[in-house]
Amino acid sequence: MQNTFGKKMIAALSGAGVWALSTAQAQITPGGVGMQPANSALAEEVHFFHNMILMPIITVICVLVLVLLLWIVFRYNSKTNPVPRKFSHNTLIEIVWTGVPILILLAIALPSFELLYKEDVTPDGKQAVTRGDGQTADFVFLNDFTDSRMVRRPGHLQVIVDNGNEQRLLKHRADYKISGLGEEEVVVSFDAPPAAGDSVIIRGGRSSDQYGNINLAPTMTLKVNGYQWGWTYSYPDFGDFEYSSNMLPEDQTTPELYRLEVDNRIVVPVGEAIRVTTTARDVIHAFAVPAFAIKIDAVPGRINETWFKADREGVYYGQCSEICGIRHSFMPIAVEVVSRPAFEAWVDSQRALAGLSPMFETETIKLADAGANAQ
Amino acid sequence: MADAYAAHGSEDHADHKPSFFVRWFFSTNHKDIGTLYLLFAIAAGVIGGAMSGLMRMELAEPGVTVLTAFTGGNLEAAYNFYNVLITYHGLIMIFFMVMPAMIGGFGNWFVPIMIGAPDMAFPRMNNISFWLYGASGILITLSMFAPGYGSNIGFGGGWVLYPPLSTNTGSPGPAMDLLILSLHLAGASSILGAINFITTIFNMRAPGMTLHKMPLFAWSVLVTAFLLVLSLPVLAGAITMLLTDRNFGTSFFDAAGGGDPILYQHLFWFFGHPEVYILILPGFGIISHIVSTFSKKPIFGYLGMAYAMVAIGFVGFIVWAHHMYTVGLSVNMKAYFVAATMVIAVPTGIKIFSWIATMWGGSIDFKTPMLWAMGFIFLFTIGGVTGVVLANAGVDHYMHDTYYVVAHFHYVLSLGAVFAIFAGWYYWFSKMTGKEYREWLGVLHFWVMFVGVNLIFFPQHFLGLQGMPRRYIDYPEAFALWNQVSTWGYFITIAGMFVFLVAMIDAFFIYRKKAAANPWGVGATTLEWTLPSPPPYHQFNELPRFDKGDAKAF
Repeated sequence: MQNTFGKKMIAALSGAGVWALSTAQAQITPGGVGMQPANSALAEEVHFFHNMILMPIITVICVLVLVLLLWIVFRYNSKTNPVPRKFSHNTLIEIVWTGVPILILLAIALPSFELLYKEDVTPDGKQAVTRGDGQTADFVFLNDFTDSRMVRRPGHLQVIVDNGNEQRLLKHRADYKISGLGEEEVVVSFDAPPAAGDSVIIRGGRSSDQYGNINLAPTMTLKVNGYQWGWTYSYPDFGDFEYSSNMLPEDQTTPELYRLEVDNRIVVPVGEAIRVTTTARDVIHAFAVPAFAIKIDAVPGRINETWFKADREGVYYGQCSEICGIRHSFMPIAVEVVSRPAFEAWVDSQRALAGLSPMFETETIKLADAGANAQ
Repeated sequence: MADAYAAHGSEDHADHKPSFFVRWFFSTNHKDIGTLYLLFAIAAGVIGGAMSGLMRMELAEPGVTVLTAFTGGNLEAAYNFYNVLITYHGLIMIFFMVMPAMIGGFGNWFVPIMIGAPDMAFPRMNNISFWLYGASGILITLSMFAPGYGSNIGFGGGWVLYPPLSTNTGSPGPAMDLLILSLHLAGASSILGAINFITTIFNMRAPGMTLHKMPLFAWSVLVTAFLLVLSLPVLAGAITMLLTDRNFGTSFFDAAGGGDPILYQHLFWFFGHPEVYILILPGFGIISHIVSTFSKKPIFGYLGMAYAMVAIGFVGFIVWAHHMYTVGLSVNMKAYFVAATMVIAVPTGIKIFSWIATMWGGSIDFKTPMLWAMGFIFLFTIGGVTGVVLANAGVDHYMHDTYYVVAHFHYVLSLGAVFAIFAGWYYWFSKMTGKEYREWLGVLHFWVMFVGVNLIFFPQHFLGLQGMPRRYIDYPEAFALWNQVSTWGYFITIAGMFVFLVAMIDAFFIYRKKAAANPWGVGATTLEWTLPSPPPYHQFNELPRFDKGDAKAF
């Protein structure tokens, strides 16, 4: 099914030679007061940290100070309190208002560090896929990470069985046991051997999202190169093609999308981690997409790295976020998140434009990929 | 000339003043130099404020429609003009408005008086400090009209002057060179001034006034002076390297020659972060005195207040890279800067709560300076807590370079430092001029400004959360509402400034009420209130003493 669809798309697109812009919506809410909707588990976590931890804390502090000031206005003005008191010290209260803020800051710092490391450490999880034969109950997961990133705890592994109709996430202890954690070969022993023909998917690694899902290593790298005033994008994993992306003039887009829409969008597959590397040709620019909560400077002579994993298909917009000269306001970023087959079709269309042969025609690549994309 | 005498008249007949030119151009008198600094700051504030007006008018609606009027309809030139406005607005407000007002103005006027000294330690150096500022002001003005990028005039790259936008790649014209020279002079001026304050405070306190008896404003200027002396040379080094990169073929910041643009950012923010405390610390001192005076109570936790400022100053030197979370620092380094930055919230919290405790149990007169001080405390708290939000690198990856940051630093500077300056102005106005202002005009000024500035900057938090990048002349339609509200806020603020102008004209020319030596009553305990208003040309021919009995200076 997927193959046919992909091939049709390739045919259609190479014929036209253009990747038609699908209709899109800006994520900015007119008059909105909150953050742009998140489109990745990580961005959701950023939202949670800001909306559910930071905002309540800072609101309470501001309201506390305001209430104290209003109480002072009401109670300690020279009419209601003609004789001022003379105290100037109170050791206990001074200890309290030094100690309590320290505790509050610790409460902020712990989730803050966790979030920061999740954002900055590119996931390196990997998955092994095999088929059950109805008899084998022990499966080996090769724990070939560097020492600091090794699978050492049951939570570093996820075991999924796919019978073709549904995927079932198994529970540690209830469904399987693990031996050899922290060693080179980790053995997952099923209580009941998976049925013949079922796919057994084992994911392992230290990178996980807030739901406990292991984040797999990026499936591709997107190279971003900023210049005055636009971006070039290339996909080193998919051949030697590169294209530039510039803001669409007012008459070629809608009023809503003007200053956000570009002629050539970034296209990435949904549900896969994408490694983004940035650099710049002339001055410093910054690559930012609020829906993924990422922002990373593009600095001439340096290569910076970040990553994102889009949860949903659609078009997501960002804008250059480091002043870069007179047209700084007019070098937006548009990321189109599409299904894996549509992405492959798009890659082949780009390869065709660059005079390269298609990459995703053969059955073998398709099959190998189906596993990686099984979720 | 007779007017000048009259304006600064004194009961002391032996109080000899030099002639007009000698008095104001070769001045060695700390009060006259303080006045010059204040006039300089007011002029710079008018220019910087007018620039923000142009920016807010342009941003009132999407589309570039206002600045084109200044460029003959040329869009590219209008884009450049906007960038020039944001750059010079920042530089002028920081270097030529807040710093001269707080340190040069109030610092010069009141530090010697508060510590019981006849003048500054180095009066002639004080004079050259001021005139270096004058020269610096001329250079930055020239820079605005010199070619920058192509045929466009001025440097449009933000007050941080990041290379390569500030090197020959991004701004080859002489505008940037003039700007560098201007900052060199401003920096030299501030370093000389800082040395002067440190020497004065360490050596010229009245007999018996130990550091632990010294008024908090003098403490705040002392800490500020140390920050200036330690941080400004780093800026001077960085911009000198920029200058040689531009003109003499070095490549400190040019990757193609083995340099690194990020090196500049480290050097700049090693200066830049202490700089923001330089802008706010004297304000802390001013607010402490006002709160104590109008509550008729001693300052709560005096030592805690003094050492909180020392702590803020010290920690301010080791948090600089929190301005650089997106440049590609390693994750461990970011984690360190997150932790160090959050530490600053502790001494800042001590200060906020100590001000509240000073008012607690007081018998408070809500006169104009007290209104500004209370406004400061609340608005600085808001700016402070959004700073804690931004300290978290994990969230800053979203917020960095958005309007959330703009809102944050305007809450601590525009609504913090500027409110402190107005508080100090109304507090010491009668002392400096010998005249009273009409109370209701001062109160009206406060309330109009309070509404105005909040209307400007509070909606900018929303814009930032929605992801609007800063330094944008034009924006998508969806950002229109809060930008428009922000622009209305600007016009209300300008109305407030008009009230201020009226209040001042009224005080000098219509109301003309002579001020008493101490208009604030028993709460005003520092030495300036023991002198007539205005003080004599030379004060303390006989030094006040704090070494007998239990006399205190605060």
